[in-house]
Amino acid sequence: MAIARSFSAIRFKDLFKNRRSVTLLAENKQQQSRGAIKPRGSGRDDASFVVFRQVLRLSLGAMGFAVFFAMVPLLAAQTTVPPADELRADVDSAFLPNAPTPTEAVLSANDLPSPAMAFLNAGLEQQASASVLIAHQQNPQQAPQQTPSSSAPSLGDLGLTPDQTKPDPDTQARLDRRTHMLKVHQELGLYTVIPIVAACISGAGATPSKNNYTSTTSRDVHVAIAGVGIGMYAATAYYAIRAPRVADGPTRGGIKIHKYLIWIHAPGMLLTPILGTMAFNDIANGHKPSGIEQYHSAVALTTAIAYGASIIAVSWPIHLKF
Amino acid sequence: MKSPRLLAFLLVTLPAFAQADRTWILDQSTLTYHMSHPLHEVDGVSHAGRGKGVCHAGQCDFLLAVQVKTFDSGDTNRDLHMLQVTRGAEFPIVTVRFRLPETSIDSPTLDCDLDVQFAGNTAHYAHVAFHQVIEGNAHHITGTVPSTLSDFKIDPPSFFTVPIKNDIPVRVDTTWHQQ
Repeated sequence: MAIARSFSAIRFKDLFKNRRSVTLLAENKQQQSRGAIKPRGSGRDDASFVVFRQVLRLSLGAMGFAVFFAMVPLLAAQTTVPPADELRADVDSAFLPNAPTPTEAVLSANDLPSPAMAFLNAGLEQQASASVLIAHQQNPQQAPQQTPSSSAPSLGDLGLTPDQTKPDPDTQARLDRRTHMLKVHQELGLYTVIPIVAACISGAGATPSKNNYTSTTSRDVHVAIAGVGIGMYAATAYYAIRAPRVADGPTRGGIKIHKYLIWIHAPGMLLTPILGTMAFNDIANGHKPSGIEQYHSAVALTTAIAYGASIIAVSWPIHLKF
Repeated sequence: MKSPRLLAFLLVTLPAFAQADRTWILDQSTLTYHMSHPLHEVDGVSHAGRGKGVCHAGQCDFLLAVQVKTFDSGDTNRDLHMLQVTRGAEFPIVTVRFRLPETSIDSPTLDCDLDVQFAGNTAHYAHVAFHQVIEGNAHHITGTVPSTLSDFKIDPPSFFTVPIKNDIPVRVDTTWHQQ
């Protein structure tokens, strides 16, 4: 709460300061045009330069988000399964009758000239032998089934209740939707590693070197990459949160640690940009980040490590066997 | 003259017809499927199998059934994914039917032709060997069903874009007793 309050105070202060400086610069410009004061040599102090810098920063951020939002539908489309395919298997395909095939009686020699008849017969034989071959290749172990005798036990004899044996298409649909959303979550989560790593690398060069507070390019690039990373992280989280819940029992396995780690990287993902903005404004104002914002990189690194650990945890235990 | 002969015939034959059907009950079972992937080796276990066998006219018909959702691989997420892939909510029960001649019931090796119904499809496995150890009234039967995903038209799920192996052998460990 205190962090948020201090952050908002700083933001408003900076905003006010910026607006004031822009107004002052505009006034200076007016005075310059009237010849009241001499123009200053540095282009940085020009109001147009300030506006240009803001526009550049915004456009970099916008580019990042544009790339991200272009990616999300592509990913979703990749993993989308047509609903017709999901609900097609309510029939035991082993009992499906074969499609009727044309017989020689239909294509009699009276109807067709003999060369055509010979050609068609050869074609039909070839087709039939090919289909038999395919059937054997597809499922060599499917043979005629044993017909259970009248005394053979049934599911009812085993004490299974109708509730246990009846199909539940609603749950199946929920499971299908869950799997689809978690597949998107998994893929998007893996892709999110790229901007997160890139943000960590670019962050190393974003600090002012040798007290040079003038150049903002490295920081702008870092902001844009981090913006994409945070956006993709949010989308990844969305797909996990919105996936339907099916299990009613306790969570077991690697997913448990995966869920625990959310408590580290999710707050980290919120805190990192806040501290980053505070640090950015400090540097823009010409002084080193002090106070809570000096921990921006530490928080970011912890978040990135927790995120990586979360990916490994959900895949654990790994037994390499090629 | 005729009636004593008829009576003798009936006395000999009727008990054979009237012989009560022998029934076998599954006491306990452990069914384990094995899933293989370059990064994972997973076993899913279920102890919730139910079974019954009825011997009639020299033939014994057996039925073993288990709910798909009772298989536990130690990871909730994986079990739910398995349930989705095998359409376990639409087809909640796996059934195994086989028939044995009553004379071979006590032999140490049982050669079974299995009809396995799973995920809305039925596969037939011929000559699957099971080993039997008899201890008193308990018949301990073990063996492995060489099932594959393609037998049941299941699309192999993938992890890091690499699909799992097609072979999903199911180890069967059951104990039966005659009722």
